[in-house]
Amino acid sequence: MTKITPDFAEELKKYGDDTALICFNCGTCVAICPLVSESFPRRLIRYIQIGARDRILENADDLWKCLHCGLCTQTCPRAADPGEVILSLKRFTVANWRKSYNV
Amino acid sequence: MTDPKKMKKNKEKSEKIGVYICYCGGNISDHVDVEKVREAAEKFPGVAVARTNSFMCSDPGQELIIEDLKNGVVDRVVVASCAPSLHENTFRSAITRAGANPYIYDHANIREQVSWVLHGDKATYKAEKLVAAATGKAGLLEPLDPIRVNARKHATVIGGGIAGLKAARVLADRGLEVVLIEKTPFLGGNAAGLDTVAPLGEQCSALIAELAKGVLEHTAITVLTRSEVVGFNGYVGNYNLQVKTTLSSSSAFDKAAGHVVPFEGDNADTPTEQNVKTGAVVLATGFRSYQPKTGEYGFDDHREVLTLPEFIKQLSEVNCSGDILELNGRKIRAMAVIHCVGSRQIPGIHEEDENGYLNEYCSRTCCSSILHAANTVKEQFPKTNIYDLYRDIRTYGRGQEELYDRAARNRVVFLRFEAGNSPTVSANDDGSDYALKVTIEDGLTFSEEIEVPVDLVVLATGMEAGDVSDLVSMMKLPVGTDKFLQEVHPKLAPVEMSVSGIFLAGTAQAPMNISEACNGAAAAAVKTASLLSKGYLELDPYVAAVDQDLCRGTGACVDACLADGALEMIDAETENGTEKKARVVPALCLGCGACVAVCPTGAIDLKGWSLKQYEAMVDMIVADELIDI
Repeated sequence: MTKITPDFAEELKKYGDDTALICFNCGTCVAICPLVSESFPRRLIRYIQIGARDRILENADDLWKCLHCGLCTQTCPRAADPGEVILSLKRFTVANWRKSYNV
Repeated sequence: MTDPKKMKKNKEKSEKIGVYICYCGGNISDHVDVEKVREAAEKFPGVAVARTNSFMCSDPGQELIIEDLKNGVVDRVVVASCAPSLHENTFRSAITRAGANPYIYDHANIREQVSWVLHGDKATYKAEKLVAAATGKAGLLEPLDPIRVNARKHATVIGGGIAGLKAARVLADRGLEVVLIEKTPFLGGNAAGLDTVAPLGEQCSALIAELAKGVLEHTAITVLTRSEVVGFNGYVGNYNLQVKTTLSSSSAFDKAAGHVVPFEGDNADTPTEQNVKTGAVVLATGFRSYQPKTGEYGFDDHREVLTLPEFIKQLSEVNCSGDILELNGRKIRAMAVIHCVGSRQIPGIHEEDENGYLNEYCSRTCCSSILHAANTVKEQFPKTNIYDLYRDIRTYGRGQEELYDRAARNRVVFLRFEAGNSPTVSANDDGSDYALKVTIEDGLTFSEEIEVPVDLVVLATGMEAGDVSDLVSMMKLPVGTDKFLQEVHPKLAPVEMSVSGIFLAGTAQAPMNISEACNGAAAAAVKTASLLSKGYLELDPYVAAVDQDLCRGTGACVDACLADGALEMIDAETENGTEKKARVVPALCLGCGACVAVCPTGAIDLKGWSLKQYEAMVDMIVADELIDI
């Protein structure tokens, strides 16, 4: 069961870009990403959309595999700026690292 | 009517049949050896000339026929091409332009019935047979005159919703007298329950008021509210409707925003019944909103579960400030909307209703409507979280995809479910103060099970066919498997019904939005006006005709007749005194031939499809050796 934190998108605002909700889950970012497999970065962006705060911290390892090549941002058809969202998530994860009981 | 003398004179077989065979640019000639068919046709009895063309329907193709007729080379025409539904009228009018009678023509369908389904020798063989049969019949064809009946320049619109109002006004503007019959005391129909409408957000009440004003102020339109059609007879151009006006009090109908009440206070003391003589009928009987079953997504079990129309109504009455929506004093911090409720139901997955029916169609309007409602909420109350649970988003049409885009930018969260794995709505038991929780296996989140706590669930309920069973049986109307009234052809005759002079407007026909309902209504009205505007109608002459010399007055034909009133017994004066004879009412005759089959003396026959003509067709089909004679 994936739990929802309804106002998570609000919470994330202070860490940077909050364009995640514009994403319509096409998966272009996953297809173009040269480094990380397993639905990166869409999975984490999707977790932002539904407010699955715990899932983000559980899967935060993936974030540090990203080299910020920018291909996902270049190809995103919704201009949802996945690269910037990943940066926001890195900041969020660092800030919440020790608070997390999962990691 | 055809002059009997002329009929007698033409009883001889024509020896001047022209056969015109079409290549259809390869559509036919890729599979049928058209030149071989032509060579065979040249040898058929009575054929004077056989010609081919790559497109017989083109001007040069038609010119072949016209020239031969004008030069007296031919006096009967057979065209072998596509289905007659496509070009029968094309060739008839070519024959008319050549100064001949358009009914001296027969058609062989060698495309749909041959080249599209057969290949090689078989195709050529069948094409030859069909052409042979057509020439057999053509030799016996007689010139006919269309049946002319007077048509009243008067139309009746049933239903006073958006489509009915639109149709009535267009009809009146084209010079017809109009009666608009509405069973409730109000005008506006289902749309009267709406607030603002997608995609532009105009007030629906303003749209209705504008339409209703146009109807109520037009002197050629009579509006009969609280009225229903209880009787129906006649034929195209001359229908009679029995209309009953009841006393049902206004309170029996839920008065919603936008309802226009014509003639307020004009309550008759007694129910009245009147006869409306009209030329054509436009059915604008509308839809009814799907009512979920008890327990369907928690409906009826939880008062926080609403249908879309209920939610729209409550939302229109909201009078709160702040950035969280409040309904009936309850803060709606989070709400879920669920798409496709009562639509796109799948056999084996969804539960049938008590009559074993499923609504397998898409209701088309609910996606745009629910996203419009979601945007309305988010733009006024941004702190109310909205979760949109959908199977597919179908915001088709101009300006409607933008509704989806706007919803995403308004931070509506979309979650996707499969038809066989619908979300569940239940009481929330996680200790928080949210009343409900919605559980969904979300296809966008890698099929993880997600639990969404909410204060409100809105079901995007679709459209169902209105109950018009009384009209259906009275007017013998065709109904689709989806229970909506069915047009003749979804593309080529989209507002016509198979009953001549009856047209379809709006959601009586299928789920559609207001723009589409107005399109349909205007099309139906213009079709009606063009049908009636000359004051008379010409109907195809393929009807039964009685040979008074042979008729013995048994009445068997009247008993067998399928169209009420098309055949009647009369007292005819003959040399033996007064005798019973059968008489055909051509405007009512369907041309089915049931009477021909039962007549003991062979006194009744169909014009243009006589038994002799059928015999000639069969003779030509079975007589292989004929071809070599």
